[in-house]
Amino acid sequence: MKAMNRRKLITASAVLAVVGLAATALPAQAAEVGVTSTQIKLGMTLPMTGTASLGYNKIPGAAKAYFDYLNANGGINGRKITLVVKDDRYVPTEAVAKTNELILKDKVMALMAPLGTANVKAVATSVNPARRGVPVLFINTGFSGFADVKKYPTTYTVLPSYIMEAKIMGEYIKENFAGKKIGLLYQDDDFGVDALEGFKTAGVNFAVKVPYASGSQNAAAAAGWITKFKAAEADVVILFGVSSATSAMLGVAAQLKYAPQWMLGSVGGDATTIKLTGVPAGVLYNAIGFSPVPATTDMKDEYVKFFSDIYAKAVPGSAFDLNVLLGMNTAFMTAQAIKAAGQNPTRKSLMAAIDSKGATFASSALVPVGYSKTSHVGLTGYWVGKYAPTGDLAPIGGTYVTYTTDSGSGPVVKSTYKRPAMPAKGLPN
Amino acid sequence: MHKSKKESTHIPLFILGGVVLYFLSGFVDELRVYQGASIAVYVIAISSIILLTGYSGQVSLGHGALLAVGAYAAAVLRVEFNVPIILCFVAAVLAAAVGGSLLGAAAARLSGPYLAGTTLALAIGLPSLANQFSILGGEQGLAFDVGFPPLALGEEFTQYKWFFWIAALAALISMWSVRNILNSAYGRSWRAGRGNEVAAQLAGINTARSKVLAFTVSAGIAGLAGALLAMTIGTVSPSAFPLTLSFSLLTGAVLAGITTLGGVIIGAVVLVAIPEIADVVAHRLGSSESVTTNLPGLIVSGLLILTVLFVPNGPVEQHRARKAKHEAAHAGSKKNDKH
Amino acid sequence: MQLLNTLLIGITAGSIYALMAIAFVLVWRSTRVVNFAQAGMALLSTYFGYEAVSRLGSFWVALPVAMIGGALFAALVELVLMRLLVKHASSGPIAGVAPIIATLGLLGVIRSVISMIWGGQDLRIVPPISNNGFTINGSTLVFSPLKLLILVVVVVLLILLTTLFQKTNLGLALRASAHAPEIARLSGVRVDAVRTLGWALAGAAGAVAGLFQTVNGNGNFSPDSIEFLLLLVSGFIAAVIGGLDSLLGAVLGGLFLGIAISFVLMYVSSGLFFIAPFVILLLVLFIRPQGIIGVKAGRRA
Repeated sequence: MKAMNRRKLITASAVLAVVGLAATALPAQAAEVGVTSTQIKLGMTLPMTGTASLGYNKIPGAAKAYFDYLNANGGINGRKITLVVKDDRYVPTEAVAKTNELILKDKVMALMAPLGTANVKAVATSVNPARRGVPVLFINTGFSGFADVKKYPTTYTVLPSYIMEAKIMGEYIKENFAGKKIGLLYQDDDFGVDALEGFKTAGVNFAVKVPYASGSQNAAAAAGWITKFKAAEADVVILFGVSSATSAMLGVAAQLKYAPQWMLGSVGGDATTIKLTGVPAGVLYNAIGFSPVPATTDMKDEYVKFFSDIYAKAVPGSAFDLNVLLGMNTAFMTAQAIKAAGQNPTRKSLMAAIDSKGATFASSALVPVGYSKTSHVGLTGYWVGKYAPTGDLAPIGGTYVTYTTDSGSGPVVKSTYKRPAMPAKGLPN
Repeated sequence: MHKSKKESTHIPLFILGGVVLYFLSGFVDELRVYQGASIAVYVIAISSIILLTGYSGQVSLGHGALLAVGAYAAAVLRVEFNVPIILCFVAAVLAAAVGGSLLGAAAARLSGPYLAGTTLALAIGLPSLANQFSILGGEQGLAFDVGFPPLALGEEFTQYKWFFWIAALAALISMWSVRNILNSAYGRSWRAGRGNEVAAQLAGINTARSKVLAFTVSAGIAGLAGALLAMTIGTVSPSAFPLTLSFSLLTGAVLAGITTLGGVIIGAVVLVAIPEIADVVAHRLGSSESVTTNLPGLIVSGLLILTVLFVPNGPVEQHRARKAKHEAAHAGSKKNDKH
Repeated sequence: MQLLNTLLIGITAGSIYALMAIAFVLVWRSTRVVNFAQAGMALLSTYFGYEAVSRLGSFWVALPVAMIGGALFAALVELVLMRLLVKHASSGPIAGVAPIIATLGLLGVIRSVISMIWGGQDLRIVPPISNNGFTINGSTLVFSPLKLLILVVVVVLLILLTTLFQKTNLGLALRASAHAPEIARLSGVRVDAVRTLGWALAGAAGAVAGLFQTVNGNGNFSPDSIEFLLLLVSGFIAAVIGGLDSLLGAVLGGLFLGIAISFVLMYVSSGLFFIAPFVILLLVLFIRPQGIIGVKAGRRA
C-alpha cells in the first residue's frame, strides 16, 4: 500500500510540474507602473536612523515639503506626486530589501535620490533597476563611477563627484597653501577612494592620511585621529567624511585646543548639523567649505528664500540647512523632469526628457548640470566659502566664485555660468 | 531495517518538495519569490547553527562571520577569475569550512561564555577585515553576479525566480546532507559530547576532535548560505554581515527548535515574515513612525524570549515529546489490557 | 607626546570598559550567567539619567537616579526573566544556551522599546565638568578633569565592591549563592534575594558606565549609538580577558584592552577599529585561557 501511495504522489507531482511549466510560460502583463490618472509615485531609500543618519534624515521632510506645495498648485498635469520613503540605515543589504519593496510592492514609477555609494551600488547589482527600466534619479552620492552610462543606464547623478570636489580642493590648496603640510581624514571605502583619486590628479601630496572605518566614527576615535595629525604637524586638515565624522573631529578638537586650518568636504560640511552635536560655532570660524548650491543663510538668493519659506511652513521649528536645500532642489528637478515627460509620462519618456531637456532644468545650483543624450552627469562644480563667526558657510568676500571641472584629468576652471531666474512661483514651466 | 526505512522515505519527500516549490514559483509574484529565496538561505544558515549549538552544544554568536567567509570566497573567485558559479559555491563551502576548523581548534579550549565572547568579537571584527585588503573590495564590497537565467527557460523567467531555484535546490541538498550527517555516527558523538563530556570520553569518543569537526561542518554549511545570501543581494560587503545577522540566525534556530532539524523552515519563515507582519500591524494601528520602525525588532526579540522560556526545545520537539508521552501512556494501558 | 596621548586615550577608554566589565562580572559571580542585555540596561539607565537632568538640572543628581533606576530595572529582570528561565529551561541541551539567548532577546526588546518611547534621534547630556584637555608646557594632553573623574570613579567602585565581596557577610552570601546555592540555602542564606541583589549592583555599575561613556564623547546618544555597541562588546571582552570571576580582573582587563586597542589604532592603522578587539581577545585566550586573574578550575563549567 505504501508503494502505491508513493506512485500516486509521483504522478501527481508530474502533473503539477507540467501545469507549473505552462503557467510560467504565460506572458506577463505590460502596464506603466506608478502612474495613475491622479497620482505619480516615487520612492526613496536613505538612512533615517543609525550612526550615519545625522542630518540626512531631514531630506524626506524637505522633499515632501516641496511636493506638497507643488500638489497644492495643481501638481504636474493634474497628477499629485507622492513620495514613499524607506529607512535603510546606511546598510547596503537593507537598501536592497527596501528598494525591492519600493519596486515590487509599492510599485513606484522611479527611485529618487537614494543615498550612499555602497547602497546605490548594491541596489544596482541586485535589484538591477537598469534591467527593469526603472529610472534612478538624482542619486545622493558623489561617487564618480555612477556616471558610467553603460554600467548604469537608468541612473542620473546630481551632486558633483568626489573626484571633482577633490580636484577643486587641490586647486584651492595650490593657490593658497602652497608648501604647507596637508592632512586628510577620509572614509575607508569607495567614498574615500574616489577622493584620493581626485587628489592624486590634482597633485596634492599629503603629510598624513587618516582613514576611518565606516561606522567607527565617534569622539574617542577622533582623539586618536587628532593625535596623528598633531604628530605630523599638519597645517591644513581636510575632513572628507560624513557629518558624524566631521562633528566628532571638530568637537574633540575644541576640547584639545587643536586648531589647524580646517577644510570641510561638502558631504559632512553642513554647519547646522555640526553645531547641533554641540560643536561651538567658534571652532568652525574661518574653516574652508564648499557647496554647489547657494549658502543656506543667503536670504538674498531667490531660491533660498523661496525654499526656506515653504519649509518653514511645512516643518515649523526645523532649521533650514544644506540637506534641506539639496532635498528640495532635487524634488524641484524631479518635478520638472516629470513635466517634460509629457501628458502621459512613462519611465522611458521620463528618462528621455532628462536626456534632452535636463541641461535646461531650473535649479538653485550655481554651476551648470551636464545632462545630455550621452551624459548622465549632474552638477559639475563648487563655490569656495569660509565659515562665518556664526559658524555658517558664506562665500569668501561675499561674492560666489565657482569652479567647474570633470571627473577625469580635465583642468579646474573658474566658471562664468550665470544662473537663470527662477520660474514663476517655483513651479515647473 | 529501521535506519534504511528512515532514509529511503526521505528522498522522494525531498523531490516532492522540489517539485512543489517549482510549481509555486510559477504563480507567485516576484516579491514573494525573492522572499522565498531568502527563506531558503535562512534554512541553510539556521540548520548550520542547529548542528553546532543544538547537537554539539557549542554556542556561536558569530555565525555571520562564517557566512561572510563563504560569501567573500565565492565573490573573489567570480570577480577576479570569472570562475563558473557552481565552483564558486563549492569554494564558499570549503573556505568557510577551513575557517570553521581554525575557529573550532581555538574554541575547543573554550566553553560557555568564553566561546560566546570570542565568537561575538569575531562577528564584529571579521567582516571589517575586508577594508584592509583591496582585493576584498572594502566597504562598498564586491559584486557577486550569478548571471542571467539560461535562455532555455524562456524570456519571462525573471532574475528572482532564478535566485529562488538556485537557493531552493541548494537548501534541499543541504538539508538532506545535514539530516544524514546528524543521523550518522558523527551526529551521535556530538550529542554524546554535548550531554556529558566526561562520559563521552570514557566511551572512547575524542571529544575535542569531535567538536572541531562540528565547527568545520557547521561552518561549511554556513559558507554556502553566505554565498547564496551574496547572490540574492548581489554584493558582498562588511555591512551585509552585521551583528544582528548572527543574532537573527540564533533566533531562527531557537524558534525552529535548536535540537531539531524539522522546524528549520518554521524558523526561516518567521524571520522573513516578521518584518512584513509587523509592518501590516503597525499600519493597521495607524501608529507613529517610531513604532513602525521598531515593531519588527521588538516582535523578533520578544518572540526569542518567549520561545526560550516556554518552548525551549522548539515547537516540533515539543509536539513530538507530547506525542511520545501520549503514546507511552496509551501503550501502557494496552499492556494492562493484555493481562 | 604621541606616546603619552596614546596611553591616555587607552586609559580613558579602558576605564569605561572596566565599569562595564565590572557589571558583567557582578552578574556572573552572583548567578553564573552572562547578561548580554547589560549594555541595553546601561542604555536605559542613561535615558533615566537624561530625564533626571532635564527635569532636575544637575548631572550629580542624575547620576544616582540613573544608578537606582538601573539597579531596580536589573532586579526586576532577574526576578521575572531569570527565575522563569531557571524554572523552564534548566535541563536539556538548551540549558547552556538559554540564558545567553534570553538576554540577547532582552537586549533587542530594550532597544526597541527605548526607540519607541524616546524616538531614534540624538539626545544630549552635557558633561558635568570640563572635558577640555589639561595643558602642560603649551601642549594639550588628551586627558581632562572629566576623564580623571571617570578613572577615580572606577577605582573607588572597585575598592567598594571588592570590600563588599571579601569582607562582609553579604559578600560571602553572594559568593556562596553562586558557587554552591544548595549549601548556602541550608546555611540560611536567602539565595534568591541575594542573586537579585547581585543583578541590582550590576545594573547600577552599568548605569555609571553608560552615563560616563555618553558624556565622555560629545554627550550625544541614541538607541543606535555606536558607543553602546562598544560598551557591549568591549565590556564583555574586557571581562573575559580579566577572567570572569574577579572584579580586579575586570578592571585590569578593561585597562589592558583599552590601551592595547589605542596603540593598535595609533601605530598600525585606524581602520582596524573593529578587528583589534577580536585579535587581542584571541591572543589573550591563547596565552592564558583563564584570563589575567582567572582560576583554571572553573573554566570548563
